[in-house]
Amino acid sequence: MSRTVLQDGFSAYLDAWEARIGSFLEKDAETIAGSAVLGADREPGYASDSTKGVLRGLPFGVKDNIAVKDMRLSCGSRLLDGFRSPYSATAVARLAAVGAMPAGKTNMDEFGMGSSTDNSAFMRTNNPWDVERVAGGSSGGSAAAVAAGLVPFALGSDTGGSVRQPANFCGVVGLKPTYGAVSRFGLVAYASSLETIGVLADSVARARTVFAAMRGADPLDQTSFDAPADAPSLLPLGGKPAEPRAIGVLSPSAVAKALASTLSGQAGPAGNGGPDEAAREASAAAMLEPEVALGFEAAKEGLRALGHRLVDVELPSLKYGVPAYYTIATAEASANLARFDGIRYGNRPAYAENPDGLIDGARGSGFGDEVKLRILLGTFVLRSGFQDRYYLRAQRIRTGIRLDFNRVLAGVDAVLMPVFPTRAFGRGERGLSPFAQKAADLFTCCANLAGLPALAFPTGVEGGLPVGVQLVGKAFGEGLLLDVAEGYEAAHPIARPAGYRAFWG
Amino acid sequence: MMKYQSFIGLEVHIHLLTKSKAFCSCRAAFGDEPNSNVCPVCMGYPGVLPALNGEAMRMGAVVARALNCTLSPKTWFERKQYFYPDMPKNYQISQFASPLGVDGWVDIPAGGGGPASSAAGTATKRIRIKECHLEEDAGKMIHAGNVSLVDYNRAGTSLLEIVTEPDFETGAEAECYVQQLRRTVRYLGVCDGNMEEGSLRCDANVSVNLRGQGLGSKVEIKNLNSSRFVRLGLDYEIERQVALVEKGGMVRQETRLWNENRDQTETMRVKESSNDYRFFPEPDLPPFSADAGFISSVEAGLVELPFDRERRVGSEFGLSREQVTIVCEERAFADYFEAAVAEAERLGMDKKVAAERVAIWMTGELKRVMNRDGLGAADVGALKVTGARLAAIVALVASGRISGKIARQLFDAALVEEAEPADIVAARGWELVVDPARIAAAVEEAIAAEPSAFSGAAAATAGGDVGKARTLSAFLVGKAIGASGGKAEPGLVKAAVEARVTAAATAL
Ligand SMILES: [Zn+2]
Repeated sequence: MSRTVLQDGFSAYLDAWEARIGSFLEKDAETIAGSAVLGADREPGYASDSTKGVLRGLPFGVKDNIAVKDMRLSCGSRLLDGFRSPYSATAVARLAAVGAMPAGKTNMDEFGMGSSTDNSAFMRTNNPWDVERVAGGSSGGSAAAVAAGLVPFALGSDTGGSVRQPANFCGVVGLKPTYGAVSRFGLVAYASSLETIGVLADSVARARTVFAAMRGADPLDQTSFDAPADAPSLLPLGGKPAEPRAIGVLSPSAVAKALASTLSGQAGPAGNGGPDEAAREASAAAMLEPEVALGFEAAKEGLRALGHRLVDVELPSLKYGVPAYYTIATAEASANLARFDGIRYGNRPAYAENPDGLIDGARGSGFGDEVKLRILLGTFVLRSGFQDRYYLRAQRIRTGIRLDFNRVLAGVDAVLMPVFPTRAFGRGERGLSPFAQKAADLFTCCANLAGLPALAFPTGVEGGLPVGVQLVGKAFGEGLLLDVAEGYEAAHPIARPAGYRAFWG
Repeated sequence: MMKYQSFIGLEVHIHLLTKSKAFCSCRAAFGDEPNSNVCPVCMGYPGVLPALNGEAMRMGAVVARALNCTLSPKTWFERKQYFYPDMPKNYQISQFASPLGVDGWVDIPAGGGGPASSAAGTATKRIRIKECHLEEDAGKMIHAGNVSLVDYNRAGTSLLEIVTEPDFETGAEAECYVQQLRRTVRYLGVCDGNMEEGSLRCDANVSVNLRGQGLGSKVEIKNLNSSRFVRLGLDYEIERQVALVEKGGMVRQETRLWNENRDQTETMRVKESSNDYRFFPEPDLPPFSADAGFISSVEAGLVELPFDRERRVGSEFGLSREQVTIVCEERAFADYFEAAVAEAERLGMDKKVAAERVAIWMTGELKRVMNRDGLGAADVGALKVTGARLAAIVALVASGRISGKIARQLFDAALVEEAEPADIVAARGWELVVDPARIAAAVEEAIAAEPSAFSGAAAATAGGDVGKARTLSAFLVGKAIGASGGKAEPGLVKAAVEARVTAAATAL
């Protein structure tokens, strides 16, 4: 962020918005001014490069589960309140190398577990379109900050939709890259095999530039890769129309059909709390809100008008996605979060009788309820003798979903899907139950299970709230998705919330 | 046949001598200031990822192959989960479903009996190796008064776990295996084998049962941190279990610790239920596929193993078993021996003679000096007297250019001087005098100094008193060598003295 911007009244703008939405857990004027020298030890010369490069002078928000040297790294958890990172994530260092400056840490659901950011131990983040509603989650702070124009882009992490869903709720672009396309080094792990660092940006072009700057193999993350030579290009469209593509459409009716088959497939006893009941509730939660369905149809029309060929496709395994996703995610989380024991860092009780007491005390008081629930679930599904029933079965489903996508993507260039069944939801009575929030991950979690890139972009406003869609592509096919979305954005400029001012050019 | 049968399986952990830790670039070193070799990765900080050290994989695979294991074409890691303060992530990255190597074997001398008896010609017993798998070590917790401290320098260092089937029956067999394994990994250069420092650690499981009844209920024994304790601990435990069963009791499934002060095993914890480690594949590390380059680097690391080398050195060089055992104790020592013999051959010596002389030097003088200086056989490379230089000394003696007595002086000089033995000999004027004129002059000087001895020798020779003649001649030889300043070649002096005596006798 340049000093010119600050002089133009940006500070007042920032403070006014922050008072309403609360997107940042930490924002430091000094940092914003670009004086921080993070990760300089690992990427020599990048600090001096901050005056050059494709993102020169641009500040960005960083979700508080991604490491920025000397900044907080709380993951929205009491346990890590006050912890400051001794190193920077590779993605952050690469962005800094092309001139971008981390401006602060954004709010999130604790350890990425949630769909509202209300699971943050520190504060609520409100939706810039309607402060009574949530910003979505878990990257809600990043989405809200970008939507309000406080930063041109922000980093988030997407484990089951945590970039795309808040982007969708706040009306910004959200890119979940191919698994392995962006180094995870410096991303505090929730579910390692599912998650990636993603981008929330104020335009498709910006998302493209940011992604291009941070992707690529990293020796510190052996699950990261360079894109193959024949991957779609990431060169900007530069005003040219996007090449017409074949887009598979997973229509709401196909989804309804899939969910109905989940119901009939349930053999459990009926009654309150039984599997049937749960399946019915899950099915209800996954039904599209009328405004979302309306937006989806409008987006289809828009894409067709741009010359794309739309064909209906089916993903039969979609219905198993959420249970498989939560089985794998919680299993991995139970191990990933084991390191938070209060011994080497983080908060812990002032006194403990023995090491076990210290660990119990630190975790008991440090973790929130949702985190404890998922650790318990993950511990349960990994018990010896039960893995075949839960964890390994989920992995087989995962393979099935990947094969399903591969089959569909052999015939089309991308798959168009809803992002979330509802627009930004409210709180309390107007909210969604924790169970419904999980069931509603249906449309987002499958891209994580399959490791495929997915791009959520706003397509309009319905009933005063943004609506949008997502495109799921082939591995390392981000360029193609970005082209289609950029073409769409050129024809349908992104709507901004009231009070928005464009500072970032 | 004994009424009871005992079953012992060993789990040996070895620290691989990789420069850096298994999953980060920290130095893998011991004895440094606590928590000085640590980084966010091995401290389990939020957001870090492990990056597999390929050298650890290679070293582990070399050991697996040396133990006749089959290498898995594709291996991966699992997370083994349990909470312990010295384990930064509260899970250990280990291998569970796809060990680096499986189904190997080693032969040990039947009945054990130490490594010396395991050279060629002894009956052997085959021990099956179940698997070798790679994992990371934990840190060290130190309890001091009412505080507990943790040193994470060791956390994340590479460990190879070598698991046998329960094929040992006695403590002696187990001891022998551990000693043999220790030599093997030292030969391979992948572990220093130091049991006191914990670079090689041994846990055992023992059960006894009536012969033919299969395995009994298993007791784990820990803290067997020397090969002697392995033997003592296991023998104690077998006796304890047999006595229990004899009295009609039951062996309780438990973990016991060897108490070296009391020479007994003691209950550490009773297993009520087996630990559930909730293994699952480590998502942060991609599966490892052994490609051709990896396989060839492993094969390249497979040096000749101790017993193969003993067998070959014994037959090729004609050494005694005792000499073979000392010469082949360490790979560096055996290399030194073979280099010295080769050089002596190049200098014109017969191979067997050279081998005999070199072995005598190495098992005698060289060993003595190294013991004096606190050097182990593996440190032989640190000496200024290289194998080639020792060969030069041996060859100088063999060619008669220096005496045996001078050779010792030369060896001592070569220990401290960075110089070739021939140059030292030349510089000090230690070479034996062989010039006939100088020999003759020395002999004449001796005769002039001891005229009565000379005439006595001549008379005895003439009179057929061989014994007296020999005694007096030897006296004159000694005097002549003395007159030469000790440098006259004794054989030549002897010949010259005898020639003069014979001539004088004839003239009588
Ligand atoms: Zn380290």
